[in-house]
Amino acid sequence: MTNSVPEFSAHTNCFLIIGSNTTEAHPLVASHVMEAQQRGAKVIVVDPRQTQMARLADLYLCPRPGTNVAWLNGLMHVIIAEGLQDASFVQERTEGYEELRQVVMTYPPEKVEEISGIPADDLRAAARLYAQHKPAAILYAMGITQHTTGTDNVKSCANLSMLTGNVGIAGGGVNPLRGQNNVQGACDLGGLPNVYPGYQAVTAPEVKEKFEQAWGVAGLDDQVGLTVTEMIEGAGQGNVRALYVMAENPLLSDPDINHVRHCLEQLDLLVVQDIFLTETAELAHVVLPATSFAEKDGTFTGTDRRVQRVQKAVEPLGESKPDWQIICELAQMMISGSRFQVPNLQPETWNYASPAEVMDEIAPVTPIYGGVSYERLEREGSLQWPVPTADHPGTPYLHKGKFSRGLGRFHAIHSQAAAELPDEAYPFTLTTGRLMFHFHTGTMTRRTEKLAQEVREAYVEMHPDDAARIGLDGAERVRVASRRGEIELAVRVTPAIRPGVVFIPFHFAEAAANVLTHAALDPDSGIPEFKVCAVQVEPVT
Amino acid sequence: MREQICKLVAEKLPELAGVVALRQTAVGTAPYLFREGDDLSQLVLEPRYPLPSVVSMLQKRYPEARFGVVARGCDARALVEMAKRNQIDPERLYLVGFTCSAEQAAECYCAAPAPDTAGWPQAMVVGVPVAGAPPNPLVAQYEEMSLAERRAFWQQQFAKCIKCYGCRNICPECFCEACALEDPLWVEAGMLAPPFPMFHLVRAMHMASRCVACRQCELVCPAHIPLTVLYDLMRRDIGELLGYEPGADIAAAPPLSLTLADGMVHGQDQLL
Amino acid sequence: MQYENVRTTCIYCGCGCAINLQVLDGEIVGVFPDPQHPISRGSLCIKGWNVASFVRHPDRLATPLVRQGEGFREASWDEALQLVAERMGAIYAASGPQSIGFLASAKCTNEENYLLQKLARTIVRTNNIDHCARL
Ligand code: SF4
Ligand code: SF4
Ligand code: SF4
Repeated sequence: MTNSVPEFSAHTNCFLIIGSNTTEAHPLVASHVMEAQQRGAKVIVVDPRQTQMARLADLYLCPRPGTNVAWLNGLMHVIIAEGLQDASFVQERTEGYEELRQVVMTYPPEKVEEISGIPADDLRAAARLYAQHKPAAILYAMGITQHTTGTDNVKSCANLSMLTGNVGIAGGGVNPLRGQNNVQGACDLGGLPNVYPGYQAVTAPEVKEKFEQAWGVAGLDDQVGLTVTEMIEGAGQGNVRALYVMAENPLLSDPDINHVRHCLEQLDLLVVQDIFLTETAELAHVVLPATSFAEKDGTFTGTDRRVQRVQKAVEPLGESKPDWQIICELAQMMISGSRFQVPNLQPETWNYASPAEVMDEIAPVTPIYGGVSYERLEREGSLQWPVPTADHPGTPYLHKGKFSRGLGRFHAIHSQAAAELPDEAYPFTLTTGRLMFHFHTGTMTRRTEKLAQEVREAYVEMHPDDAARIGLDGAERVRVASRRGEIELAVRVTPAIRPGVVFIPFHFAEAAANVLTHAALDPDSGIPEFKVCAVQVEPVT
Repeated sequence: MREQICKLVAEKLPELAGVVALRQTAVGTAPYLFREGDDLSQLVLEPRYPLPSVVSMLQKRYPEARFGVVARGCDARALVEMAKRNQIDPERLYLVGFTCSAEQAAECYCAAPAPDTAGWPQAMVVGVPVAGAPPNPLVAQYEEMSLAERRAFWQQQFAKCIKCYGCRNICPECFCEACALEDPLWVEAGMLAPPFPMFHLVRAMHMASRCVACRQCELVCPAHIPLTVLYDLMRRDIGELLGYEPGADIAAAPPLSLTLADGMVHGQDQLL
Repeated sequence: MQYENVRTTCIYCGCGCAINLQVLDGEIVGVFPDPQHPISRGSLCIKGWNVASFVRHPDRLATPLVRQGEGFREASWDEALQLVAERMGAIYAASGPQSIGFLASAKCTNEENYLLQKLARTIVRTNNIDHCARL
């Protein structure tokens, strides 16, 4: 996020919420939005499903899935046509405006209506609300990123925010809401194939040298590594022989899981470190019992770049150990085992007494975390990166006064169709997502009775018109099939979804939505297109 | 005031298993059981937490032990109603009461911002009581509304509910083993917002003759729903119809517990 | 007899709400929100209120497991970690560093993610490390 959650209740005057089921997936962000609305802030929600947030909104737009760039361009068309842009911000702080203008002027609201299904007048109303209530914040979640055009969608959001001068001010900005609790931290600390901790490129010689020095090794890999999807694909093809999985469950969370299972089964070594025997762990050769969050120390980084403490409350269950300790012990065995060519490494360098010591190693090599220490976190509660030095207060919002690259760049982008569109054989568009009552693959929440009792089983949501079209006729279960597989599950008929679109939450192993989804990726981000694929639905009698 | 309370706590600690109060450390402030020898400079009075619920939990876990609690007016009222429903044992509790400031009382629309210790076996109050604050103006505004307007008001408010159950979880007077809010007979499961208006009406009904106007439910509500408007009116009606004021008098029998709440009152055996 | 609240951070979404775990005699007996936290401000959602319920669930893994036919057998830490180091070492020797991959985790701590990528990069010398954040 460019900005901070508390700014929403304190400063924001208009919210443009895109593809985020905020009250369910980020309830306490929604709490700040609701408070802002009470003092008069406007809320616009754009989503193919009429979520609770959409029902609370001042204006709700219901686009066809996969048409984000088109309607965002349309919004900018209206803003420029009506002279509502922030001319001085555009003049002083950005470049590429002319190219942007030329592209968006080819998206008049009537044309956008044809592409997206959003009525032209609603689009105009949204453009005026957004442009005339500053500061205005864009909030988005997976509904923006999980598309083959995800990167284009994100850039379009940035275009809109800059065009109206909403970047670099309190309560404005472009704010992706992170799904899992520490997505932000996993990215920040180098859990990515192309960067070291702090987003420092593995291909940059000076960065490589810096880490070789810090870690006391020579010859670090200077090629970008494989992404999750590529590793799994590689396992299927035999190039990847061993996979070490820490607390992830790709067998349920990744697209096209029949294929994922096949690939994982080809591995010579699958190691899973987790707290429960997940679907993925069931395939493993070795399973290592980790502790839960309540049994360990550490830090998480929230969606607004906020580094906060995780504190041990109780002793580990049985022989389980915290993940950090497992990694250290394994590292020591790998080093002393002599199979790996690690002449300079000593097992002792992996003797960390506590996660606080790990943070002391992270800070000097990770400029955005440079001033983070446990001592400061205790005193100050939380720190928002970038916090380059020990006396830097942290950064509630980014790009104040200046972008890190100097001028903000507009990206002129044309709309493109999703990879798999509905056709005669597969006439519905499937979109997937989360529910309030469950988390991710349900490993923990389905074992929590207070949550499980709210929603016990998977279901598919569909519009009454569609229910009539497939002759549902009171049947309670349906079979949903895509080109990759099929599942059988309960059906909920609701007018709160766009006709032609069906929705399945992805928390449930026995009717896993990801049997149906496909692995078409955004070429830049590598994010699968979970939000659009073509399916057929038929009643089960 | 804090010093006085600490002094009193220090004096009483040798006779007690511990005193429930707020502890402030570098990481934050939260409920804590102070025992003999603990650093009482960490004992603070803000912010507000439902300490009576902590007392109840501890007394149930340790059926022989005697505890103390540092309590403001609403906490003491909550303890009174809990005592009547066997959720706490006043014989095993030392009440260290303290008075709220006029500002605090105004913020809470509190009519009785000092603990009333009449009838308590063991209690002390620190501080000079301030006058009760005027009631929530929203209640009067609400009463001006027509029936249709009232319905629309609640429809709009309850549409924000994210069904966190926080209002129930934090409420010192919500302690049923099997909660009607989780019973699909009353409230359809898994819906957001919960279908209008059962979730909220069921809770309001169950609060009749129990709600002590501590306002914890409103503070905890992520949707900022003015829940106590409903409960304040309920309190007033119970007062006018049955002459009962929850939390006021430890000796007065609650009027509804034998009828409405029959079967939900926990007997002494279940408590232990 | 010991009762205290341990302040930690919720694991169920990126909001980053503060959680007070009520601990009585070494066991978690409840959850309180924190009124002084800038984001959660004394509130939580239903997941946060119930965040600790699975911590002592009977399905929790309590010992290392090693595959035996269709199922698993229990193993000591030493045996399990030796086995991983050995087999990974053999694969490294036979097929090189790029034949090994690591999945870090959006559910684990910053320190744990740092350590896993450090292990992958310094000992195995591969950048094959990613996590399921995109999912
Ligand atoms: S004010 Fe709310 S929390 Fe307090 S007793 Fe009444 S219903 Fe319960
Ligand atoms: S605290 Fe508020 S949001 Fe939560 S269940 Fe109660 S009324 Fe609903
Ligand atoms: S309590 Fe709810 S909103 Fe807060 S971090 Fe946990 S899951 Fe997210």
